[in-house]
Amino acid sequence: MQPILNSLDVVLQDGFMYSILAMGYYISYSILDFPDLTVEGTVLSGGVVFGLLVKAGVNPYIAVLAAFAAGFLFGGVTGILNVKLKIRPLLCGILVSTALISVNLVCTIVGNGGDFKGDGLSTIDLGRSVPTLTRIFPASELPSDFYGFNMKKLAVFFAMALIFKIITDVFLKTKCGLLLRAAGDNPNYVTMLAKNQGTSKILGLAIGNAYAAVSGALIVQSRGNVNQGIGIGMVVIGLASLIIGLSVFGKVKFMKPTTMVIGGSIIYQASLGIAALLGVPTVYNKIIMAALFTAALIVSGKLKKKRGVERD
Amino acid sequence: MIDFENVYKSFRGSVDETKLFEDFSFHVETGSFVSIIGSNGSGKTTLLNLVCGSVMPDSGKILFDGKDYTAVPEYKRSKTIGRVHQDPKNGTCPELTIVENMALADNKGKRYGFTPAVNKKRIDYYKHLVSECGMGLENRMNVKVGSLSGGQRQALALVIANMTDNKLLVLDEHTAALDPKTSENIMAFTDRIVKGKGITTLMVTHNLRYALEYGDRIVMMHEGKIVLDKAGEEKKALEIDDVLGLFNSISIECGN
Repeated sequence: MQPILNSLDVVLQDGFMYSILAMGYYISYSILDFPDLTVEGTVLSGGVVFGLLVKAGVNPYIAVLAAFAAGFLFGGVTGILNVKLKIRPLLCGILVSTALISVNLVCTIVGNGGDFKGDGLSTIDLGRSVPTLTRIFPASELPSDFYGFNMKKLAVFFAMALIFKIITDVFLKTKCGLLLRAAGDNPNYVTMLAKNQGTSKILGLAIGNAYAAVSGALIVQSRGNVNQGIGIGMVVIGLASLIIGLSVFGKVKFMKPTTMVIGGSIIYQASLGIAALLGVPTVYNKIIMAALFTAALIVSGKLKKKRGVERD
Repeated sequence: MIDFENVYKSFRGSVDETKLFEDFSFHVETGSFVSIIGSNGSGKTTLLNLVCGSVMPDSGKILFDGKDYTAVPEYKRSKTIGRVHQDPKNGTCPELTIVENMALADNKGKRYGFTPAVNKKRIDYYKHLVSECGMGLENRMNVKVGSLSGGQRQALALVIANMTDNKLLVLDEHTAALDPKTSENIMAFTDRIVKGKGITTLMVTHNLRYALEYGDRIVMMHEGKIVLDKAGEEKKALEIDDVLGLFNSISIECGN
């Protein structure tokens, strides 16, 4: 029983942690229909910003906001490449995430006291004394072992997912948010409203990557360290969680898409957790991830077809 | 209201260049309702695109109320232009509800900030607006626009294009994709709106009868030139056979 509870603990933590990334994809992929690869870089950027600031003694909640800002900025660059320079969506993501490999590495090394030539430490370790999200009030008051559940981490990640869910829901109901939905739905409509459709697109990509960076900050919080491999596989985790969520819960009435995405993220992590419980070595994780993603795509494609037939 | 001064516009194909407009000049009076007819490729839609800024001229000037608008981008011109396209999908957002579509349009020309998009107090006003088209849209305010019929969407697009005080209404074959009955309804609804607001209107249509029946000026185009331009009493005296005769003679010239 205990291994199952422990593994459930990890599933929930990771589910909430990555759900913010998936909510970002809800904005850039579902709403704007932009397959954004930038997150491979921005997740790590968020982690680096968070790790460096927290290690320097900055309040970790402020460090999360700083990670958000960094992601917002880099996502905006992707948007500008696409809108102003007319570069294809996939290439924009590849360009920015490739450039970010250097940016993230240099920031990590310099933040660690190394030099701009790249000589120095490329990892950040949040040692036992660093005040992270779980080590300051209010999470610090919670038990770290409650029937196998780490309540500190669980509460922090759940609260973060909930906050971003609420922010997203409220944002999408504002004038700015509705205009963003219109930009994804029918860009002509935005032009007819005398607004520049490109601006909405740039904003959407900035928000999507800001969310990805917050996920990155939480990954660093969870692992207690930053290494340069954190971003790998994030596109698949984010998109698969999103698509699983929307296709599994798509028919549930009155359920907000953001809630579906959190559900999807938990289902995705649970599948990985089950594989681990069954004794599949973690080196096979990425294959399982890709297989899950493929399955999700097939299922959601079939559902879409079904709905399309019904509508016509 | 609108002036085209010596406009040139050509389109580059893969092998050749088609010169559509050469030294083209055109004037529209404020408050007039102009119907534009012509065969495919005659330049009707390009004329509308030049007015709205979706297509930019190679040279020449386009003036609005005497001001040079030639270099003003499409989205900025939209502040004073309402446009309805041929495709009903074009004038609305299918994933948004009627209320959400209208709330967005209601805010045209203002800032799209972080205040709630839908103002509940305005919903009765929106209902009143859509009830005038007589399609029962007022009872489906929270339905996604994508699930409405083409005619209903086009009626909604017309209402939306006229929600704010525009100076110009541009109709690009806006009844062409509809069945004959719905097409009649939409055309009559269009006429009520145009007459009610007294708004300057440019309407491209393939329906010669509409062109004669509605509006106070008729323009026929052919290969980028105006071949017929009648307004007022002269237009009223035109019979459908006169127009059809001219239309056919042009088409025969082209070998159609």
